[in-house]
Amino acid sequence: MADVRMIGVRKAFGSTVALSDLTLEIRSGELICLLGPSGCGKTTALRILAGFEKPDAGTVEVGGEDITSVPTPKRGFGMVFQEYSLFPNMTGRANVDFALKLRKAGAAERKETVDRLLTITGLTEHADKFPHQMSGGQRQRVALARALASQPRLLLLDEPLSALDAKVRDSLREEIRRVQREVGVTTLFVTHDQHEALAIADRVGVMSQGVLEQLDPPRALYESPATAFVAGFVGTVNRIPAERVDGGWRVLNRVVPGRPASEGASLAVVRPEQLAIDMDPAGDGRVTETTFLGPLTRAIVHRTEAPLIVDVLTSEFPTLAAGAPVRVRLRDDVDDVLLIEAPKPE
Amino acid sequence: MRILRNVFLVAVGLYFLVPLLAMARFAFQSVPVVLLTPEKLFEGWSISGLLEVFSNPEFQKAAITSLQLMVLSIAVTLVLLLPVAALVEIRAPRMRTLMAGITLLPWVVPPIALVVGVAATFRNTVPWFLASPYSLVPFYVLWALPFSYRALDAGLRAIGARTLYEAARVMGASTFTIIVRVIVPNMIGAIIAASVLTAALVLGEFAFAALLLKETLPTFMAEFQRSEPRAGMALALAVMLLTALIIWVGVRVLRRRGMELQAAGV
Repeated sequence: MADVRMIGVRKAFGSTVALSDLTLEIRSGELICLLGPSGCGKTTALRILAGFEKPDAGTVEVGGEDITSVPTPKRGFGMVFQEYSLFPNMTGRANVDFALKLRKAGAAERKETVDRLLTITGLTEHADKFPHQMSGGQRQRVALARALASQPRLLLLDEPLSALDAKVRDSLREEIRRVQREVGVTTLFVTHDQHEALAIADRVGVMSQGVLEQLDPPRALYESPATAFVAGFVGTVNRIPAERVDGGWRVLNRVVPGRPASEGASLAVVRPEQLAIDMDPAGDGRVTETTFLGPLTRAIVHRTEAPLIVDVLTSEFPTLAAGAPVRVRLRDDVDDVLLIEAPKPE
Repeated sequence: MRILRNVFLVAVGLYFLVPLLAMARFAFQSVPVVLLTPEKLFEGWSISGLLEVFSNPEFQKAAITSLQLMVLSIAVTLVLLLPVAALVEIRAPRMRTLMAGITLLPWVVPPIALVVGVAATFRNTVPWFLASPYSLVPFYVLWALPFSYRALDAGLRAIGARTLYEAARVMGASTFTIIVRVIVPNMIGAIIAASVLTAALVLGEFAFAALLLKETLPTFMAEFQRSEPRAGMALALAVMLLTALIIWVGVRVLRRRGMELQAAGV
């Protein structure tokens, strides 16, 4: 296992800049998710690591060794693709074994490794099926076992769950995490699904337009987004006009310390669960819609300004319904808000 | 609508079937057409004419030449074209449009122009080349290119050759290993399709062989037809059936491998 570093990596396709000056360090044994909308450069970063694309500038290092111009087959990585890409003419077992044959492993070692990998990916009884006889989840497990067979220095996962249906996706996600821990392989996981990223990663890197906006553990990312983009992309947010006053920023009913993301920032970024409502016949808001989410109920509250999204405990407001007059306030335990610039009027 | 459809189908069926039946009657029934009455419809049928042709040594020689040309053309097509198509698909997908255009070129150039051009060049430099019947192989490979390349290209795309290639690359495989161990075994269907199309083309090609004065099955038939119209007609039918049989067998093999014809580009 080794540290993986991308330093100042730049890549453009024609006039489209896919990556501008990306610097990323993956610690040994760590699982990092790159998260972002399509076209944000996350896949390009992964393909540069794999050696499928050559960066225009910058270097890629593994364990201190510069591998920027080392061809893909000599990098010693493992990779799982969104479209499975199992070899259709080989059984599950043969697919895994193929990786070992390429590494010129001995027959006994091969059998031992294949059996061990098929066991930890829970595939033992499906191993002798051909890919077209397997379900999507089984195929992706084979792909994972195959990627791990050659004991890669780095495991690359390119949207491995996107082609699967919701239920399989969740269980396989846990499975990937468990196997990754068990093997201890350094891993880069690329996805556009924030739930996936927050659930699986040690650290999540949010990318937008070729720039890594923030790289932090999931919780930090959610609780203190560094930029407006991160705040908007990860989770749901309200943007509430705030006013600069002595001792902080006035947001709704309270004055709290603020972190302006830029000069002239005046919108507070507030999560739905950071707001509370009081039933108040004289309130300035009116509930227009409620969505039952189990323990939480999500209410859309219209006021004179933009509507607010508020999550309240279902047990506290069992009968909250559209039409109720309410007053929205910032919860008392919120002690810090991010401030972003108001979008320019068109 | 249904009636219209059926009328159309029957009309088209007759359009194809009547000439074939007329051919068969002329070839295998020794009753002149002016004497043909309903009672005589089943009289005088025999395939002796065809058997006679089959025992004709000149025919045998031409047929063997054609079969050799068929096998060689298929071999050359696969050996040269398959790696090129695979490399374009996995290494330079941007060249695909260009390749699609280039592979259509043989049909833009008429056979006579090709033959005259090639003959003028080779007669002066390597005269022995055009003397051998095998000099037809390069022409046939070129002539089949629009079909064979498309079949192979469609096969490559159907199996997702590029991701298979990338998957195997990461695992440490060389390009040669990937083509031999991963790409080829998975596109047998497309390879069969390309081979069957090439075979059908070679067995029916007349212009190149005639222009280069080579004795192949079609040129033999054209000649033979003049002296022995009835036996010639029988032979023409037989060759037509043989070609149809080759295509049918190819299609059957594809079906058995669970491959739709469209996927193989036919």
